Amino acid sequence: MTHEELEESVPSYAAGALDRSERQALEAHLLSGCTSCHSALKDYQSIAALLPLSLSPITPPPSLKATIMAERNPAPIPADAATHEPSKPSLEPGEWMDHLFPPVAPARSSSLPWALGLAALLIVAVGGYVAWNVSTQRSIATSNMQQLETSLQEKSAKLAEMSREVESQTNALTEIRNELQQRTNEATEAREQLAQREAELVEPRIELSQGGSARIVRTAQDELAALLRIPDVKVESLAGSDIAKQAAGFLLFDARTHNVWLYSMNLPGSPTGTTYQLWAISDKPVSIGTFHIDAGETVRLLVKKVPSFAGAKAFAVSLEPSGGRPQPTGPIYLLSRS
Amino acid sequence: MDNPSQHTTSMIDPTVLALVAKGDQQAFSTLYDHSSRLLFTLAIRILGSREDASELLRDVYVDVWRKVSRYDVGRGTPVAWLVTLTKSRAIDQLRARASRGYRATNTLEAGTAAQPADPSPNPFETQADHELRLAVGSAVAGLPQAQQQAIGLAYYEGLSHAEIAARLNQPLGTVKTRIKLGMSRLRESLQQWGNHGALP
Repeated sequence: MTHEELEESVPSYAAGALDRSERQALEAHLLSGCTSCHSALKDYQSIAALLPLSLSPITPPPSLKATIMAERNPAPIPADAATHEPSKPSLEPGEWMDHLFPPVAPARSSSLPWALGLAALLIVAVGGYVAWNVSTQRSIATSNMQQLETSLQEKSAKLAEMSREVESQTNALTEIRNELQQRTNEATEAREQLAQREAELVEPRIELSQGGSARIVRTAQDELAALLRIPDVKVESLAGSDIAKQAAGFLLFDARTHNVWLYSMNLPGSPTGTTYQLWAISDKPVSIGTFHIDAGETVRLLVKKVPSFAGAKAFAVSLEPSGGRPQPTGPIYLLSRS
Repeated sequence: MDNPSQHTTSMIDPTVLALVAKGDQQAFSTLYDHSSRLLFTLAIRILGSREDASELLRDVYVDVWRKVSRYDVGRGTPVAWLVTLTKSRAIDQLRARASRGYRATNTLEAGTAAQPADPSPNPFETQADHELRLAVGSAVAGLPQAQQQAIGLAYYEGLSHAEIAARLNQPLGTVKTRIKLGMSRLRESLQQWGNHGALP
């Protein structure tokens, strides 16, 4: 039970409404030294003791007093004997209070020395009883408490150890995961760098191969092979329109670098004053770039850093006035097949 | 009651008990005179009959005579001690003879209602006693009937929360609340008596 629950049971204790286990719980709590509950209980017991005053008084029969006076023993039984009576009512008042408060000595008459002696004896006897009771109950309570505390400490230590172990394992796991991630990143980066380098090598090769068409084809094949090794490159094939049925081509798009390559063959040469323009068509055409070719030339166009056209549904190449136009105005020569 | 006089029922001087402890016959007689009416009323309220109450009081007073050395003024006034002792004994007896069955005593006042009224004034009751009696009576009467009933069943019949709940066919929580609230209100109403030293 929590302290609040125990405190709440104080009025009921005084009224006598607690069952045995509840009563014992509160008494154990009081023995543990809770001063606020003790103080409250003292108040409530004072009130409880007054309750019979609310009853309509009834006078006992006059003969009762005579009977009682006659039935008494000649003298009160000494405290030590009285306190060791084997049977007593289960609700004997305030037994637990013995443990809380050392008894206050009753007022003594100084007229009779023997009375003083008797009172002293009583005090010693009551004190002894109280001390005996206190030490017995306290030692039981203390040893129970110690056992509980020891057990609690052991459990806490074990728990702390387990938490530490879990924590260190978690840390190790996180470290391994981080390392793995780093390695993966490094590997990806290396692979991409490699592909990039290969792609970059294409341009010098093209420049080097300006001399002969045979070498152009070989270099273009190498270049294409290099591009296709880049993991993020997508391919879109293009077909010639009705006005250029012989033409064909394809687009390569590197999603990571946003580079676009256009390869096409058999496009007619662009007349002077005109230019071919490449479009990505999503909702409306967006210009990707322009290029000139002479008749019979193979187009290898690299456009760097184009805006993403992941949403593009089609691609087209049209012939436009020199410098290109924001929207296609001339005839379409190439169109994506899909 | 700012300064209650000595030797009232509510304020038996602890020295009387000290004298009883020494075997003082006169002190014992005084103790009886000042407490027997209250204890007898209480015993009748719990046990229901004058014969049983008389029997109980014989046991209680003989016990007081024998065990008065166990009384400790630090624990409460002599009256509180006697009331608690009498009540405990009576409740024990009530439980022991549980086979007699339920007596219809449902309120703080009900048990003595069946007893003949006692017209004779108590020669030992002082003005202070009278005022205290009125204060307690009015504090109890000021409680809602349900709270009076629940406290009465606990106090005079020794029933636990659960037993009261079963008896009244009420939820356990309701019974607990009634007793707690009732006792709290009594404590508030009678606080001034406690502060002036008239209370145990």
